[in-house]
Amino acid sequence: MDSLYILIPIAVVFCAVAIKLLLWAIDSGQYDDLDKEAWRILMDDDEAQPREGSDRD
Amino acid sequence: MLTRTDTEHCYHCGEVVPPGTSFSAVIGGESRPMCCPGCQAVARLIAGSGLESFYRLRTELNETAPPLPGENLFLAYDKPENCSDFVTGIEGSRVRAQLLLGGISCAACTWLIEKALGAHPGVSHANVNLSQQALTVEFDRAQLPVSELFQRLLALGYDPHPWQLSEGARLIGQEQRAALRELAVAGLAMMQVGMFGIALHAGDIQGIALEYRGLMRWVSLLIASVVVAYSARGFFRNAWNNLRHGRLVMDLPVALAIGLAYLASAWATVLNTGEVYFDSIAMFTFFLLLGRYMERQVRHREFLRQTDLQSLLPVASLRKDGDGWQTVPTRSISAGDVVLLRAGDTIPADGVLLDGGGAVDEAAFTGEHLPRSVAPGEQLSAGTVLRDGGGSLRVDCDAASSRLAAMLSMLSRGGDKPALARLADRVAARFVGAVLVIAAGVAAYWWHADSSRALWITLSVLVVSCPCALALATPAALTAATAQLRRRGLLLVGEDSLEALLRCRRVVFDKTGTLTRGELRRRETRTGGNTDEATALALAAALELRGRHPIAQAFSDITPVTGLEDVEVVPGRGIRARLNAQAVAIGSPAFVAETCPALPPAPTDPGHWVALASDRELLAWFALDDTLRTDAGDTVTALKARGLGVELLTGDPSDAGPRLVRELGLDAARIGASPEQKLDHIHQLQAAGTPVAMVGDGLNDAPVLAAADCAFAVNQATDLAKSQADAILLGHSLAPLDEAFAMAGRCRRIIRQNMAWALSYNALAVPLAAAGWIPPWAAAVGMSASSLLVVLNSLRLRHR
Repeated sequence: MDSLYILIPIAVVFCAVAIKLLLWAIDSGQYDDLDKEAWRILMDDDEAQPREGSDRD
Repeated sequence: MLTRTDTEHCYHCGEVVPPGTSFSAVIGGESRPMCCPGCQAVARLIAGSGLESFYRLRTELNETAPPLPGENLFLAYDKPENCSDFVTGIEGSRVRAQLLLGGISCAACTWLIEKALGAHPGVSHANVNLSQQALTVEFDRAQLPVSELFQRLLALGYDPHPWQLSEGARLIGQEQRAALRELAVAGLAMMQVGMFGIALHAGDIQGIALEYRGLMRWVSLLIASVVVAYSARGFFRNAWNNLRHGRLVMDLPVALAIGLAYLASAWATVLNTGEVYFDSIAMFTFFLLLGRYMERQVRHREFLRQTDLQSLLPVASLRKDGDGWQTVPTRSISAGDVVLLRAGDTIPADGVLLDGGGAVDEAAFTGEHLPRSVAPGEQLSAGTVLRDGGGSLRVDCDAASSRLAAMLSMLSRGGDKPALARLADRVAARFVGAVLVIAAGVAAYWWHADSSRALWITLSVLVVSCPCALALATPAALTAATAQLRRRGLLLVGEDSLEALLRCRRVVFDKTGTLTRGELRRRETRTGGNTDEATALALAAALELRGRHPIAQAFSDITPVTGLEDVEVVPGRGIRARLNAQAVAIGSPAFVAETCPALPPAPTDPGHWVALASDRELLAWFALDDTLRTDAGDTVTALKARGLGVELLTGDPSDAGPRLVRELGLDAARIGASPEQKLDHIHQLQAAGTPVAMVGDGLNDAPVLAAADCAFAVNQATDLAKSQADAILLGHSLAPLDEAFAMAGRCRRIIRQNMAWALSYNALAVPLAAAGWIPPWAAAVGMSASSLLVVLNSLRLRHR
């Protein structure tokens, strides 16, 4: 059980690093638009050419 | 009512395709119907650029695209000094521009705009923010002039505006990021402390070595200190600021609970006795911050759209310099200048018409949708629109003293909403008092009975009475109600709009553009005897094809005859031409009588009568009317069924108002009111003790919307009206109004249930804690479970 004295501080350090990273992401504007990001995965980058008769809804 | 089966809908915007037109675009290998040349141009451009998968991706229909203006209206922006407030240099000719875009309806729009702009070699980076509806674009102004950028966005069917980065908007961006930072810290800390919390609670039940208990408590203390000092500081600040002014708000019990639970737990950790509540502190803070963050997100979106004087006026105007006309930015025009007006222009300044003439649309001030004919010597106002004709205008006052500026300044006068004590804060005030009294009593009792336990039992009373559920009761219900209404087509902006709505006893509607669509429609055709209706209509449509007057729209669904010669448009009066060597004319009775001296007097029935005649005889009379929104009648009936008074308040002095009152069964009407009179009328109703909900759209409604207890703007409203509204209708329908009233009632019921539950939980837990019977794990589980119950109860608002 003595390992707790090492493992718990390590967990706290990990938590601090995670918070640091998240704050950096927020400050660099990555969370400024929460509405769009959810959709972006559905939007392909490589559809520059019109496709023939394939899309019908 | 429209039946969807036998009418075609525009593939781009979903509007009904007018019969007899044949606009179309090939999308996905099939020809799709389009309702107007504007939509057709946009759809063809999108398909032609290989971006037609936009139509597969979108989740909302687009807005109807206006036809592109024949010339580039943004040329003035090509001079760097005219656009310094939204275009900043990066290096050389590379610049970054920030624009607000109108007409963005879903995420696919952002994809389309980014793709279409990114394809231009001069653009290095384009990013659209969907929440703010703002575009940030980096480009080379040598390869892509600023005016060209605007023009491209317009061609895609979006309406670009310079984004003046006001101080307020910048602050809001910062505030939003700061809130997210606090939320992130609280969330991650909650997971850590919760992990140790489980170990500690398990230890309480099955036994734990004091040594490890101490370790976990110390680590929890460290992490919880960060939460209290960083994430929860807003609660402390707000509670203290209000307390100093003698106000008890919900944040006070919240701050007390967090502060006391923290101090007691820290005390217990240092002395290695008592109980710790670190996990509850972190979780409580996180949930409260989450609710507030989501609430704020909605409100801030609309704040960015606030309008200033400048954005209501054209970007550039033509000013007389010596013998020629020069394009100058509108803001540099001052008293004494002469400016050129052309058909379709927004008039840039107050002044007197020197020469020319035409028809001026003054709906912004009067609400009257039919343009007024103007002749030289007459006074024109900035912000009104010259529908046809042209001329030159001598400016007689600066923008700051124009009638438009005066109206904007009325906003600040009308802008103090009746103060509304929030239910949550009223409960909070009593709650804080009660808890403090009980805690003092408990402390006094135990001090005499068993002084060693007095401190701990008093603290446990304060912690157990932690108002988690009480504090969440209102925001959880409001967030759920807001989300549900948004799905039904109503965007709530105001913080208190639902509570305010419940108090409203009277709904006041503007007429033009609100109850009606603001478009003219033929109500009746009376032929002159020797002509049949179809021939008369076809001839009228052919003549009106050349007109830019709103009357022309009433004939756009008719297939015109061909063979007109010598067409002459007389601004503000009518149109004449020759057909088969016979003179024909359409327009006001006085104008048509010039062509046809035998014209009989116009029918006396209400409506706007337009004459069509040849040089020998009358061909037909057309009665034109504003189109009523399809569900206006149903909505008014539904509102009256709720026991609300429904009233009309319009600037239009014509007899259309009284007719509408009869048709819809309205309770009262105020016709022909100026913006000032409208505002007075609302103040009078309020002074008589009737809280008022107002529904409007125009510039002239903005001060009234600001003064009403609860204000709605329709989707097509001016930005200024929207910025003053508590709620915005997102579609063409008025039905969400009635739903808002229903939702406000349900929301209040849910809030009351939540509060009843939270208070009875406290009523049960406090005596047990006062008796010293509650172990800390039971307190923690109880608090979380009651908060969860409140959240789940609120989610019921999303069903049905």
